Amino acid sequence: MVLMTLNEKINSDRFIVCGELRPPQSCNGDLVRDQARHFKGFVDALNTTDNQTATVRMSSIASAAILLEEGIEPIIQMTCRDRNRLAMQSDLLGAAALGVHNVLCLTGDHQSIGDQPEARGVFDLDSIQLIAAVATMNRGFLLSGKEMKKAPSFLIGGGANPFGEPFEMRLIRLEKKIAAGARFIQTQPVFNLSVFTRWMERVVDMGLDRRAAILAGVMAVRSAKTLQWMKARVPGTRIQDEHIVRLDHARDPEREGVSMAVETIQALRSIKGVRGIHIMPTMWESITPTIIREAGLPVTQ
Amino acid sequence: MLIDSAIKARKSLGPGERRLSRLLLFAEDIIKVPLFRCQRCGECILSSTAFICSQNCPKRMRNGPCGGTGESGSCEVFPDRKCVWYRIYVRSRRLHRVRLLFQRNRPHNWNLEATSAWLNVLRKRTEPPRWFLWNEKERLRASGPDDTE
Repeated sequence: MVLMTLNEKINSDRFIVCGELRPPQSCNGDLVRDQARHFKGFVDALNTTDNQTATVRMSSIASAAILLEEGIEPIIQMTCRDRNRLAMQSDLLGAAALGVHNVLCLTGDHQSIGDQPEARGVFDLDSIQLIAAVATMNRGFLLSGKEMKKAPSFLIGGGANPFGEPFEMRLIRLEKKIAAGARFIQTQPVFNLSVFTRWMERVVDMGLDRRAAILAGVMAVRSAKTLQWMKARVPGTRIQDEHIVRLDHARDPEREGVSMAVETIQALRSIKGVRGIHIMPTMWESITPTIIREAGLPVTQ
Repeated sequence: MLIDSAIKARKSLGPGERRLSRLLLFAEDIIKVPLFRCQRCGECILSSTAFICSQNCPKRMRNGPCGGTGESGSCEVFPDRKCVWYRIYVRSRRLHRVRLLFQRNRPHNWNLEATSAWLNVLRKRTEPPRWFLWNEKERLRASGPDDTE
């Protein structure tokens, strides 16, 4: 079977499954390999987070290089918190040279919510300007205007938070991201399906689902405690109390966690405009194969 | 197009201009700091943000809110405050200026921090502001995709 890249899959009409890998808080590359094995064959591409929740972790590009060795297509996440435009361009050139062709452009959590709140945040560009910058690089130019001898060809992605207020402003920002050059959009984890459905209807109305592939976030958690931590500490996630209660009261929380994720995936697949999902197994990577199989998603290899 | 303007060399202030800029900035500060809590970025986009200074955002977002706004529109960094962009959106709707929020603001030229935004417009270092939406048609479009609801 000829392997398709994520770019080709987005251009086809396949249902896309992305995963998310947390690089370790140490220099142990084997931890990346161990996590990656849980995803291999079950996802089309794997995100490597960039110092998520503003805590120091192994660089997303280095982790992506390890993923390439493992035969998994990486999507590097790039946040605007830690680098200015010079560093971002040079990192992107380096990533392209290593064979990374997908980049998810994010603004990034503010450093004050992380474990080193005294750090200086950069925020030289914001995510929309970063998307435009990568698009400029794809056209063969650096931001200085200098023409490159060899242009990278990144598939550009952006984030979206369908649950943030005000609702309409979220759609405006989504439109701006897609206009700037985003080809795929990964959303925050979906818990509240009714809000997500309403958001998706508007996305379809505005015709945005035809201009970029919308990949809905699905979170898999093994305990109510993790959900509570997410709710309290991770900005932009909307977790309703009913989910926490459901996990808390379950006799087998792990089983319940799987069925919650599977139910969400099945519901998402029936929503018009959703081109794929983005699975985020928080501290529970080993569950990915089970969820993919139970949700009846095609196994890629 | 805005992407193209990003790859054009950006002029900075000439040596003869510094004094004039300081003078104008003095006048500008008297008006804009108390009225709009102006952060003196030198590339004023107040006219497109319903006259609320977006640079009060801890991340200095120029293109809309980040993904971290709380359920009631609170700021990720200061949960007791409203997100600047939440306030901008609410007021834009009231003033029928939502359409202006669709325009993409290019990366900030940090050389222009604490220089006169007025002078920067006159010298064509930044784009001119859009104070008014001239005709009725434009005003209707500016009311955004949602006012029909």
